Amino acid sequence: MHLRKTAQKTALSSFSRRRLLSTMASLAGVAAVRQAFGRDLNISALPGYAGLPSDTQPQQLVRYPQKTDLILLTDRPPQLETPLRYFRTDLTPNDAFFVRWHLAGIPTTVDLSSFRLEVGGHIHNPLRLSLNDLQSKFMPVTLVALVQCSGNARSLFEPRVPGGQWGNGAMGNARWKGVPLKDVLDAAGVLPGAMDVGLHGLDEPVLPQTPRFQKSLHIDHARNGEVMIAYEMNGEPIPMLNGFPLRLIVPGWYATYWVKSLSSITVLDQPLKTFWMDKAYRIPDNPQANESPQHLAADTVPISRMAVHSIFVTPESGEQLHVGKSYEISGVATDGGSGIRSVEVSTDAGQRWTAAELGQDLGRYSWRLWKMAWKPASAGHYRLMVRATTNSGETQATTQWNRSGYQRDMIEHCDVVVG
Amino acid sequence: MRMLRSASALFAFVAVASLLFASQSGQQPGTSSASAEAIGGQVHSITLPDISTEIPKGPHVDTFDRNCLTCHSARYVLTQPPFSKAVWESEVKKMVAAYGAPISAQDQERIVEYLDAINGAKSPQTAAPPK
Repeated sequence: MHLRKTAQKTALSSFSRRRLLSTMASLAGVAAVRQAFGRDLNISALPGYAGLPSDTQPQQLVRYPQKTDLILLTDRPPQLETPLRYFRTDLTPNDAFFVRWHLAGIPTTVDLSSFRLEVGGHIHNPLRLSLNDLQSKFMPVTLVALVQCSGNARSLFEPRVPGGQWGNGAMGNARWKGVPLKDVLDAAGVLPGAMDVGLHGLDEPVLPQTPRFQKSLHIDHARNGEVMIAYEMNGEPIPMLNGFPLRLIVPGWYATYWVKSLSSITVLDQPLKTFWMDKAYRIPDNPQANESPQHLAADTVPISRMAVHSIFVTPESGEQLHVGKSYEISGVATDGGSGIRSVEVSTDAGQRWTAAELGQDLGRYSWRLWKMAWKPASAGHYRLMVRATTNSGETQATTQWNRSGYQRDMIEHCDVVVG
Repeated sequence: MRMLRSASALFAFVAVASLLFASQSGQQPGTSSASAEAIGGQVHSITLPDISTEIPKGPHVDTFDRNCLTCHSARYVLTQPPFSKAVWESEVKKMVAAYGAPISAQDQERIVEYLDAINGAKSPQTAAPPK
């Protein structure tokens, strides 16, 4: 057995999903539980190997700097998931906000006296802007917007796919303050013929030959007035692990475009060529990003706008409820900028649907909380389901799969036992 | 540190990442949050926690250890569900072709064997096709 480094002690605590699941298995029919918790029960133990894949291990909570206890997916580079209980409020606390970096050379020290955001390329006036420049020379704007990892809920896809095995906690809703990217580009003076805007941050690959993390937006998108260079998150500086001191805000689009610790903006007169646009973060070229293992889509496109989705926050799958007691079924509904028109909940596995009450409307790029009172009248196994519809009429899928586990928009369920 | 045994990895660490990792040495587990505050008004700094990962024994574990842990920790493998050998093969190939990992053809095969041994799919239904 290799034991790497010293044992993590106080920063780690754990809870056991397996214990819960074994309880569930004894309470309910195995088939029903397999369907609900397939991702756990399908995993067979690996006799002979003492260190087991985490699917068979208890989840670990870990505390990183400026963060509360989050679910540890990976440590280097860090991928930390927000526990669902933080999704009961309109805005997700900064210290509970999920963390996801691609390359191990993440920024851990930023000296604001030397930090500059460089703006160059196909422009008149190259700029080197300090944080203070951005705060004092441009008009600030604020916006509440959801940021969600492209692979949020990847662990729910069947068959399973490689990648960060997120539950539903690779997202969060925050109030961002900063300056429109358009205003900065205008100050730089974009030249005719501009096509793309390339963006990268302070993160670096370990190996020099690894492509640095870079994304691009079409020039029209970059200049739409909504894309923002944020320096505040929920009224505070952005936590280091969420992209201090500047983060690109791309309202309605998946987090892969929300470049953290943004340090470079390059206007291009041709499309940016990078692994991170050309090979990674691509989805099947159809509206619900669908394909099957047997028939992989021949054409793929870069992932972009967030699909409509809704999840349960309370109760959690596997929770034990009581007959005749009042419960609040609640959750969040998310989409890519149209806004949520309605959320419907079923307590009978999708036979009948009831409109849920929507929470505060914080703007079309925000997520929307929803809730519904429920008093189960009799004992048994219940499958709760939730589906959302956007203002533009977009609805959720009943089945969905793609090879990368991206753009989850399937109607979700939550199995509970009432006794 | 054993993860630095490969010459190219050592070079990369010295050339590129020494600054980024220097602050981690000597950090005790569980003390990270205390050092999260800005040092001064202008310098903002955090110290990443040191998280242990048990690496399962298996065939060619040393090859895995020597090649794979330069760029990412073992949890990148251990948090995955079981996959077919074909999926593991494509993952290893991706590390080489897309991320430039300097791994010989023979070592790639050994790593795939290791991954299949410690986390191979028991039935094809649980695995996605190779990318």
